[in-house]
Amino acid sequence: VGLVSEVEGQLAELRALEAADGTPVLRTSVLTHVVWAPPKWAGAALETLAGLEERHPSRTILLFPEPGRKAEIDVTVSMRCFALQGVSHEVCSEVIELRLRGKRARVPASIVTPLLIADLPTFCRWRGEPPWGAQELDQLVGVCDRLVVDSSEWRGLPGSYGELSGIFGRVAVSDIAWGRSRAWRGRLAELWPEIRGIRRLAVTGPRADALLLAGWLRSRLKRKSIELEHRSAKELGRVAVDGEAVAAPVGAPPSASDLLSEELDVFGRDPIYEAAVKAA
Amino acid sequence: VSAPEGNPLLEGLRLRRRPEPCVLVIFGASGDLTKRKLFPALYSLAVRRLLPERFAVIGVARTEQSTKQWVTAMRKAVEEHGRDEFDAEVWSALADAMTYVATDFADDRGEDAVLDVLRRLDEERGTAGNRLYYLAVPPAAFETIVHELGERRGSEGWTRLIVEKPFGHDRASAHALNEILARWFREDEVFRIDHYLGKETVQNMLALRFANGIFEPIWNRQFIDHVQITVAESIGIEGRGAFYEQAGVIRDVFQNHLLQLVALTAMEPPIDFTADSVRNEKVKVMRSLHTPGPKSVVRGQYGSGFVEGEEVAGYREEPGVAPDSMTETYVAAKLFVDNWRWADTPFYVRAGKRLARRETTIAIQFQRAPHPPFAEVAGDGLRPNVLLIHVQPDEGVSLAVGAKVPGQGMSIRTVHMDFLYGGAFRTGLPEAYERLILDAMLGDATLFTRADEVDEEWALVDSIVAAWQRDRPVFPNYEAGTWGPRSADELIHRDGRSWRRH
Repeated sequence: VGLVSEVEGQLAELRALEAADGTPVLRTSVLTHVVWAPPKWAGAALETLAGLEERHPSRTILLFPEPGRKAEIDVTVSMRCFALQGVSHEVCSEVIELRLRGKRARVPASIVTPLLIADLPTFCRWRGEPPWGAQELDQLVGVCDRLVVDSSEWRGLPGSYGELSGIFGRVAVSDIAWGRSRAWRGRLAELWPEIRGIRRLAVTGPRADALLLAGWLRSRLKRKSIELEHRSAKELGRVAVDGEAVAAPVGAPPSASDLLSEELDVFGRDPIYEAAVKAA
Repeated sequence: VSAPEGNPLLEGLRLRRRPEPCVLVIFGASGDLTKRKLFPALYSLAVRRLLPERFAVIGVARTEQSTKQWVTAMRKAVEEHGRDEFDAEVWSALADAMTYVATDFADDRGEDAVLDVLRRLDEERGTAGNRLYYLAVPPAAFETIVHELGERRGSEGWTRLIVEKPFGHDRASAHALNEILARWFREDEVFRIDHYLGKETVQNMLALRFANGIFEPIWNRQFIDHVQITVAESIGIEGRGAFYEQAGVIRDVFQNHLLQLVALTAMEPPIDFTADSVRNEKVKVMRSLHTPGPKSVVRGQYGSGFVEGEEVAGYREEPGVAPDSMTETYVAAKLFVDNWRWADTPFYVRAGKRLARRETTIAIQFQRAPHPPFAEVAGDGLRPNVLLIHVQPDEGVSLAVGAKVPGQGMSIRTVHMDFLYGGAFRTGLPEAYERLILDAMLGDATLFTRADEVDEEWALVDSIVAAWQRDRPVFPNYEAGTWGPRSADELIHRDGRSWRRH
């Protein structure tokens, strides 16, 4: 029995168990969600998932690469079920955890492709900085409709944005750091038309968010000369235009699950983001 | 693609629609609707940061109380009826924006007091003269308020008016109300609310029909045998005896919610999703609706019985109801939509109180398969396909299809494929009033009824009620907790059909 048959068989058994009381299990999917999480990111990936599945019921395929070990694949299958308010049914999502060891970590597409749900979009969340030019990245970009990254998890900024822009033609890209800056971009947009002459942008927050904001202004306003003054902080907390502080957006910033969830609602390329990355 | 409003920074910015600064003035601010629906909705909008940044609420009612007392009462209402967990910080921001004015609507001084508060709020909160008036008041107060508001409307900002049902009690009175409104407000400033249109599943009807290529080609008389629409409530009249005696189910539910569901089911595809395009198509349906005659309409009134195991009183024993009342609490009708798409396809509709369970559904029953080769071995008979749209509760869509029972032979069973809204999109369905209040703030009237729609709805109701003047049925004629009077079954059985199994 092959791995895929084994996975499908285990899922069928789990569905039968869930339906043991005679109530049929509803399996609802709006997408296939593939997560690439190197060991360092495994915990964070599972944590984000907990807040996400209820909003985007999907088949989730968690890929944990462990290239330094003996070549094998370890698989765990589970169902996460949620009661629906006022209804006797439960809705279940499938989670397939695959530990790709040794060489198997270089060829994820052959394992992922047969497990994708047909006719639904595939979103790949890549935790950490992708290994630009590596086979595993190349393969997953090939099977995904949308690659979701968080460039604030990267160390090689701003150079990595150049690498990222190299794959724009192959797959639509979402960046959690870009989503996080949305409310601030709204604030900056309110400064139109005075903001047309901006010379200096000061940002206190993650480096990625600051670079993207500056890139966005440079590309939208067609002013390459806008200088960025960045002060590092965990959260995007202050933005100033030519020394003048911009009013902060109202309310608490969205959670990691909220941000990822918003990206999973987006289809197609985002030319504004792509231009911001190129100008960052 | 050019940038919105010439601002290149707005392009591609997926910001949520947020209304312009405004003041919401609620007339009837101490009433049940305000407590149960309006404030919980406002609070949910505040939680999601969908209210304008510069915003205020004025509550106007006769009840003598201070702003502080009103705020306390509304907080309690939000805690009791809200769908979101109570957050003191969110509430505090909303409470800061609340002012209560105790006045009689007919009192000039009271209206002036409201105007003074509005001017003060414009200065303090920068609401720029934008007003959204919500008339959550009994029909008797309607004319006075509209007149007073019209007289005092300013030249700055926009003014919009949300009008609650009932909108008239017949065609003539609805026409008179429309004339009063038209004297002071343009049609695009009037938002006649039918909260059914704010329900996600009702809007999903449009998505189902017009976003899926597979349904529209068979959405016609050639493939559909008939349509059944049910608006059933298990509750009684909940202390609204005086109102219900005047209205009955035909004015309370049939004239508005039920006919809106018929219109959404039968309408032609609009060219776009703007208010006028959608409403133009709905009006065409309303104009082509008719019932073939008095025998195609059945009315009923519940007697005592059991609902969900509890013994309940009959309608005539309810407080505020005459012991010999002839008010109907149930209506069923066969309607026809006279156009090319629907000619000779019956729409069986029914609405009632104290029925077996709460349920609003639209069932599209397709024609039977023309020649099923395995009819003889069908388990429960090869039933026709039914597309069932659950409006409430259990929002979703299900499709009944025939499937082979595993094993020897060729036994066919009907199985349901369910799509439950909550299962696919677990974002928590917004309450209808949240969507509608927000739309009114944004000036989007797509989900509100237009004057000519209301007029056509009443034309049909008037024709039905006129026939009722000539006969006097024996009431009560159905037991509480059942699916209505026997005559309703006879109405559909005469055509060789039956109401859906429950």
